[in-house]
Amino acid sequence: METFSALLAGFAVALTPVNLVWGFVGVTLGTAIGVLPGVGPALTIALLLPATAKVDPTGALIMFAGIYYGAMFGGSTTSILLNTPGESATIVTAMEGNLMAKRGRAGPALATSAIGSFIAGTIATILLTVMAPIVVDFALKFGPAEYFAVMVLAFTTVSAVLGASAARGLASLFFGLAIGLIGLDSQTGQARFTLGIPELLDGIDVVVVAVGLFAVGETLYIATYFNREADKLEKMKGSIWMTKSDWKRSWMPWLRGTALGFPFGTIPAGGAEIPTFLSYAIEKKLTKHPDEFGKGAIEGVAGPEAANNASATGTLVPLLTLGLPTTATAAIILAAFQQWGLQPGPLLFETQPLLIWGLIASMYTGNVILLILNLPLVGIWVKLLQIPRPLLYAGILIFATLGAYGLRNSWFDLLLLYLVGLIGFLMRRYDIPVAPVLVGMILGPLAEQQFRRALAISQGDLTIFVRQPISATVLAITALVLFGPPIWRRLSARKARRTG
Amino acid sequence: MTARAAVHPGELAISLGLIALGSFIIYETQGIAETQGYAQIGPRLFPYLIGVGLALCGAVLGWHAISGGWRHVPLDEGRERPDWIAFGVISAGVVLHMVIIGWAGFILASILLFVLVARGFGSKRPVRDAVTAIILAVAVFLIFTQGLGLNLPKGPFEGVF
Repeated sequence: METFSALLAGFAVALTPVNLVWGFVGVTLGTAIGVLPGVGPALTIALLLPATAKVDPTGALIMFAGIYYGAMFGGSTTSILLNTPGESATIVTAMEGNLMAKRGRAGPALATSAIGSFIAGTIATILLTVMAPIVVDFALKFGPAEYFAVMVLAFTTVSAVLGASAARGLASLFFGLAIGLIGLDSQTGQARFTLGIPELLDGIDVVVVAVGLFAVGETLYIATYFNREADKLEKMKGSIWMTKSDWKRSWMPWLRGTALGFPFGTIPAGGAEIPTFLSYAIEKKLTKHPDEFGKGAIEGVAGPEAANNASATGTLVPLLTLGLPTTATAAIILAAFQQWGLQPGPLLFETQPLLIWGLIASMYTGNVILLILNLPLVGIWVKLLQIPRPLLYAGILIFATLGAYGLRNSWFDLLLLYLVGLIGFLMRRYDIPVAPVLVGMILGPLAEQQFRRALAISQGDLTIFVRQPISATVLAITALVLFGPPIWRRLSARKARRTG
Repeated sequence: MTARAAVHPGELAISLGLIALGSFIIYETQGIAETQGYAQIGPRLFPYLIGVGLALCGAVLGWHAISGGWRHVPLDEGRERPDWIAFGVISAGVVLHMVIIGWAGFILASILLFVLVARGFGSKRPVRDAVTAIILAVAVFLIFTQGLGLNLPKGPFEGVF
C-alpha cells in the first residue's frame, strides 16, 4: 500500500506539464537515435550531460530514462528495414525482422515489435515498481563491505561473463578502473596519475570517454572497415496492421520475452543481448511454424523485442536501488545523478522520494507515448534512415567535438577525445567490449571509497569481507561466475575425452 | 575463411601495451605519499590492485596471441580489407579541428571537420557536403550560444553574432 501511495505521488510529479514535456522529448529523441545507426543512448545522454547540469534533475532524468528505453523501440525499426541493427540489443530482430521485410511483411514486423515493446516495457515497469521497495528494504542493511561486494559482482558479470572472452572483458574493465583513478583522491586529496598536467587534476570527464569511444572510435572503425557495401533499405509495403494470426502468434512470445528479459536486466549481468538470443532460441523451439524460421517468422521478432525492452527497464532496478550500473547507458545515467550530487541507492528513496517515484511513474506514460510514436508515425522515422552515411557520421562528429570542447573550452579535451577515439577504434577492431570501460571508470571510484571505508571500520582487517554473511555470499557468487564456467568446461572436456 | 596464423602481431602488441600500462601504474603508485593514519587504508592499495590486474590480463592475452590468437574472435570479412585512407582523412579532420578551433572559431573548424569526415566516408559530392556543413555548423552554433548560453569561440565572426 505504501508503494502505491508513493507511486501516486510519483504520478503527480510525472504528469506536471513540464515533466510531460521532458518525457516526450526523451522518448522522441530516444526513438530517433535508436533508429539512426551509429548513435546510441549512451552517446546521446553523455552529450546532453553538460547541457543539463543546471536544469531540474527530475525533468532531466525523466528525459534520460526516456532516451534509454525509447532507443530500444527505435532500434527495432532499423533492424527490420535495414540489414544493419540500430542497437546491439536488436541484432536478433535484424535476422527474422529483415527477412519479413524482404517478403513484404515489414508492417506486421514493425507492429509486433512496437506492441511487444510496449507490453514488455509496461509489465517491466510494474515489476520495477513492486520490486524496488523490496530491494531497498534489503539494501538498507548494507554497510561498506556489502556495497563493495556487490560492486565486485557487478564488475565481474559485466566484464567476464558477457562477451566472448573473459580476459578481454577484464582488460577493458581494468582500463576503465585505471581511468577512474586519474585526478584527486577523494579521501586524502592527493593527486594520482596526473603526470603533472593541471588539466588532469579533475580527472578525465566521462563525457570525453563515452563520446570518444562511441562516436570517434565507432566512426573511425566503420569508415575503415565497413564502408564498402551500401545499406539496403527495405520498402514499407502493405498494411502496417497485424492479421488475426499475427496476433495469435505474437502474444505468447511477448510474454515469454518479458519474462526472460526483466530478470536478466535486474541481476547485475547487464546487457540485453543474452536474453534476446535466448528468447529467439526458445521461440524457435516452441513455434508451430518451424519452417518459417530463417525466412521471416513473426515469433522471432516478437520475443526478442519484448526481451530487450524488459531488460532495459530491468537494469533500472539495480541502478536505482543499489547505485549499480550494469550497462554502458546505465553507467552514464549514474554519472548524470552524480552531476547533481545525487547518489542512487536505498537512501535516495528516503531523501528524494518524489524524484525517484516521479521517474518510475514517467515510464508508464513514456511507454504509451512510444507506442503512438512508433506505430502510426513509423513513416517519419523511416525517413531518418535515408540520411546518407557520410552526412550522418560527419554530423555525429560535429556533436561529439562540441560535447568535448564545450566542457571547459579547452583543446586539451579534444586531444583526449581523439586519443580515446583511437583506443576505441582498436577495441572495436580487436573485439574488446567497451561497456566495461565506462562501468569501471564510473563505478571504480565509488568501489574504492566503500573498500576503504570497510577497512577503516575493521581497522585494516581484510577478513571483514568474508566475515559478514551478505558480503561473503556475494563474493562467493562472484567467484562462482568467474571461475565456474572455465572449470566446468575443462571437466566436461576431460569427461568427453575419457568416454570418447 | 583463412586459417588463423599462430602468432598475431596486432594482438600481441595490445597485450604488451596492457602489461606496460599495468607496470607503469604500479611504478607511479610508489610516488603517491601513503598516509600512515590509524588503521587507515591509503590511496595506494587500489592503484596497485588495478596495475596488477591490467598486467595479468595483458599476460593472459599475450599468451593467447602467441598460441593461436585471441579466443572466440568473430570473423568479419570487412576486417581483411582496411581502408586506411578513410582512417587518415577522418583523423586529419579531428586533429585539424582541435588545432584551429581556438583562432578560426567553432563554425569554420566544424565545417572543415564535416567536409573531411564526409570525404572519408567516400562522399563524391563536395558541394552538398559543404552546404550541409555550413547550415549545420551555423545552426548548432546559434542554438548552443544563444539558446543554451554556451560560450563557443567565434573566430573571424566576432561581432557578427
